[in-house]
Amino acid sequence: MIRKILAKVVICIVLAVAVVWTITPVMWMISLSFKTYGEWRTPSLIPHNPTLDNYIMLFSPQSITTIFIAYTAVLEPITRPLIRSLIISATATVIAIIIGFFTAYGASRYNSPGSFTLFFTLLTRMLPPAVFVTPIVIYFTTLALIDNIIGLALLYAATTLTYAVWILKGFIDAIPIEWEEAALLEGASPLQAIFKVVIPIVRPGMVVAGLFIFLMSWTELLFALVLTNLNVPLSVQVSKYVTAVGALWGVQAAAALVSSIIPLVIGYLIQRHLITGFTFGLVRG
Amino acid sequence: MPEKPPRSIKILSSLPLNLLLNGILIVPFIIMIYLAFLKWSPLMSINWWEAPFIGVANFQRALSDSRFIEALERTALFVVIVVPLELFLGLLLAYIMQNPFRGKRFIISLLIYPLMLPPVVVATVFYLFFQPYGPVNNIFLQYIIGPRALDIHWFLNPNLAFTTIVIADVWQWTPFMFLIMYSGLSAVPKRLVEAAEVLGASEWTIFWRIRLPLIRPLISIAVILRSLEAFKVFDYVYVMTGGGPGTSTESISLYIYRLAILYSDISYAAAVSLIVLAIIIVASYFAIKILVGRR
Amino acid sequence: MLSEEKVSSEKSKKFDPARRQVIIALGSAIVALGVGYAIGYLTKPVEKVTTTITKTITQTVTQTVTAAPPSLTTTPAPTLEYPELSDVARRAVLGVKKLIASGVVPKGATLRILHVAGSKDQLEKAIELWSKYVPEINVELVTMGTEPDVYTKAMSEAVTKTGAYDIITIFSTWLGDMVEAGLAKDLTEYFNKYDPGYTGPCAPIEPLGSYVTLYKGRRYALDIDSDVFTLTYRKDLLNDPKYKEEFKAMYGYDLKVPDTWEEVINIAEFFTNLKLTSPRGGKVWGAYFYVEPAFAAYITWTNIFLEAGGIPFDLETMDPKIDSPEGRYAFNILLKLKPYMPPEAISAAWADLYDKYIHGESVLTAAWPSLTKMAISSPDSVVKEVTGTALMPGVKLEIGGNPTIIRASPNPVNWVGIVSNYSKYPEVGYLFLQFMSAPDIGLEVVLSGVILDLFRMCWFTDPKYKAKAVTGYGEDFVDHYLDAIKISYPDFIIRGGPEYASKLTTAVNAVVAGTMDPETALSTVAADWDSITKRYGRDSQLEAWKALAQLFPEPIKSAWKAKGYVK
Repeated sequence: MIRKILAKVVICIVLAVAVVWTITPVMWMISLSFKTYGEWRTPSLIPHNPTLDNYIMLFSPQSITTIFIAYTAVLEPITRPLIRSLIISATATVIAIIIGFFTAYGASRYNSPGSFTLFFTLLTRMLPPAVFVTPIVIYFTTLALIDNIIGLALLYAATTLTYAVWILKGFIDAIPIEWEEAALLEGASPLQAIFKVVIPIVRPGMVVAGLFIFLMSWTELLFALVLTNLNVPLSVQVSKYVTAVGALWGVQAAAALVSSIIPLVIGYLIQRHLITGFTFGLVRG
Repeated sequence: MPEKPPRSIKILSSLPLNLLLNGILIVPFIIMIYLAFLKWSPLMSINWWEAPFIGVANFQRALSDSRFIEALERTALFVVIVVPLELFLGLLLAYIMQNPFRGKRFIISLLIYPLMLPPVVVATVFYLFFQPYGPVNNIFLQYIIGPRALDIHWFLNPNLAFTTIVIADVWQWTPFMFLIMYSGLSAVPKRLVEAAEVLGASEWTIFWRIRLPLIRPLISIAVILRSLEAFKVFDYVYVMTGGGPGTSTESISLYIYRLAILYSDISYAAAVSLIVLAIIIVASYFAIKILVGRR
Repeated sequence: MLSEEKVSSEKSKKFDPARRQVIIALGSAIVALGVGYAIGYLTKPVEKVTTTITKTITQTVTQTVTAAPPSLTTTPAPTLEYPELSDVARRAVLGVKKLIASGVVPKGATLRILHVAGSKDQLEKAIELWSKYVPEINVELVTMGTEPDVYTKAMSEAVTKTGAYDIITIFSTWLGDMVEAGLAKDLTEYFNKYDPGYTGPCAPIEPLGSYVTLYKGRRYALDIDSDVFTLTYRKDLLNDPKYKEEFKAMYGYDLKVPDTWEEVINIAEFFTNLKLTSPRGGKVWGAYFYVEPAFAAYITWTNIFLEAGGIPFDLETMDPKIDSPEGRYAFNILLKLKPYMPPEAISAAWADLYDKYIHGESVLTAAWPSLTKMAISSPDSVVKEVTGTALMPGVKLEIGGNPTIIRASPNPVNWVGIVSNYSKYPEVGYLFLQFMSAPDIGLEVVLSGVILDLFRMCWFTDPKYKAKAVTGYGEDFVDHYLDAIKISYPDFIIRGGPEYASKLTTAVNAVVAGTMDPETALSTVAADWDSITKRYGRDSQLEAWKALAQLFPEPIKSAWKAKGYVK
């Protein structure tokens, strides 16, 4: 009995530490986003003169005069970059998941694209991106994909595909083959078998891989910086709050918080899938 | 299942993948490999395809470039520190969270929140955190070691600066491990655990003998993916220390960024990247062999 | 335990369908948006085709027009049109009108400028004034976050040649890179044709006006800025009678604005040891000069190095000459100063220097003119009334037997405008730059924001302009800044300039941080520099360096002579 209580106490303490550890920088960031220009460097957790200016600056940059260096920053309201990033990330996610699923299926059932190709997809996560920028710019210019959010979405889909392939392969590996064979015996075509049997079971895996892909596309900066001119996505917009005459830290914090709402909502909505289904495939014993 | 895939599956499983990967990435990749053997930079007033071919000179230069070797070692050290730490913390939290309690869903949402923030901004926040007058010294450490805390300059000492980068990375990416481990542990069949309990196994034994072996494949994939990302650590170094003092915290990604973008020394940067790529390929090949094993 | 979980999972099953619908709805909405956007984009290539056609046409036309000689090349006779404009601006406006009339550039054409985020208001001011006179040509501003972003963008433009930007504002340091990369257009012909006012009483102050626009003897840029360093100091502290007395007792000479770096060390030591506290509770440090790792550390070092008579490269062989007594002297000064500088100087970003100064936490400091602007106009500044400006401290040398204090001022950054070689209307792009840098328009642009600063002579000498300049900068600054520009020296405006500077910055930062000793630093940088030179070709680098060395200010040249580096 005592041991049980002790265990509970330990658990509570560890949890409390974890929560405090996670929440402190976030709280401080929230506080930073409400601080006035002069206060950004101060350590206090509570703003002395709470202000909404940093948030107003996000949505209506022209109307702010209290942030001394704000009037030097060229910015469009954050809404359009937000929408662009949403389109880019959603497109990349959908493409990567669909392609990744079929690849994973082929790999799991028939070793179809071959283990080399599977390893090759991992390569896309290994390459340091900085040096890849110039060849990509050269190539995208010839394709007229510069400053084109679809080009960016395709690039993200290609570079994050591997998450979908590897995670989904694990899921499909664990589905008993007999289930599909049963469907085939009942007269379904191979494709029908996939849609009727496999997809419903691996949907949680799709959701999880999708979340990671979405987040990676959402925050990628270097490619976005070089491949866009006017149609900038969110990450580039956030980087613009650090200007040549100083960093707008409060505004940047506000931007990060605002921009995290969309993934947060998505993360919350899919949480049930995330938890129950995630390792369905990988845990076989 | 039959060995020969039906035609529809065969096409669907390889064609779209190859279209996307080859359509988008293969051409730039070949250009990059080609560049590594040239003497070219955008500053040379010639087009890249007309640049002189110099063979492996760039690679030779890289092997005698101490800044490159140091950055490589440093980054490897970073991965070796960060990934096990995140795995351990993630696993610990995931294990604890197996106990049901009220508000669990809310706490999970909270614990994975760091994943949702742009790394650049996280880096900025930690940069401000570790200023001598920042909250870490001024509020946290001052309680523990007194006013002396204000004299700790995190970014001046190479080791402390490195530590701040580790802290930022652990803060943001432990949730990644936690999420995967948590879902893995949740999926362990209840029957197995109950059976073991009936047999009188201790909690400890159940964890080591039943839960952990079951999620081993999952741990492998998580470790591989996370290591690949950690090897590319950039934002934290770039924003927080700028690689300083000197080059004592420069990561391989930052060095390559400087070569390719600040110095426009692109063909050399390409050669360096290819060496790094080769090292990662070999390392991850063995890692996959050892970790995933039978697969 | 288990039962509780089961209940919750049952609950979740109940809610599942609803959630699924939400996800499906959200998903399909997103997909629909994406598809719509894609369709929108698919119509784009059609536009692209037409623009390429107009591009080829206008280019040929431009060539024929520029080839047609005398009637245009003579300076247009003073007309009564736009009497309120200065000659330079009027020539620009009339030039554009002529181009429009002759059909070289269509009405409604758009110029696109790539610019760093941070001086929107200044560029917007220029655009606003432009559209008053030339409403036919639209000007569009594209900004990038910080300087490396602009450099990256410009370099990728040089490689891809898309013509996405007509005008790019760059650091003068990058000029060599931009020219060699083929991005910067040779503007010499336009200079002759339209005369941007680079001679006479209102010309950009020399040597600055030359070294930021010339590369290997040709004009590639128009100056829109000056970024010369001045010594900024706390008047109140340096003039305090009590401190003056104590200081004299301690060091044996009067406390005053320092003339040499040795004096800087004394004053810095003196004020650091006083252990003063700033209004916000921070320690007041005697000095704060740049030694940070990201980019600015080379500035301070190079300043001392040059004043001591050092020369970066041999003028005959292009060998690096920094591994020399002058190089050791510069490190010696920095290491002696280190204890009296805030420790953050080694790690914090460049903006920290501004932050410390305007909050009253440093006594002697040096930075760009915007430091003064900020100290005077930032609402957080606690030093509004007590900020003094002086020339950079110097080094005492024997020149021709006479001890002389050699002073020089760095001019790192310095924005200039270049015209893209791939622009559709390069001539119009040039004329916009001429317009925005004209004596009258230019001053208004400079005064409307932070980044761009005073660069024309008459703004300091002509009473009508000076009065206006003083309103923005204060009398003290305007008086000293003119002298500072006269002794200003150029950055490494040769190919690979940013790379040379960056290697030096890393080494200087490492030495001051204590992770590298000066000897190793000097030999490492010398070796690095040599390999950069080798990579770009020794002969062409030497040619560029020789041309650049001509443009250094007289005091430095005389020091080089005294040291025997120049015959």
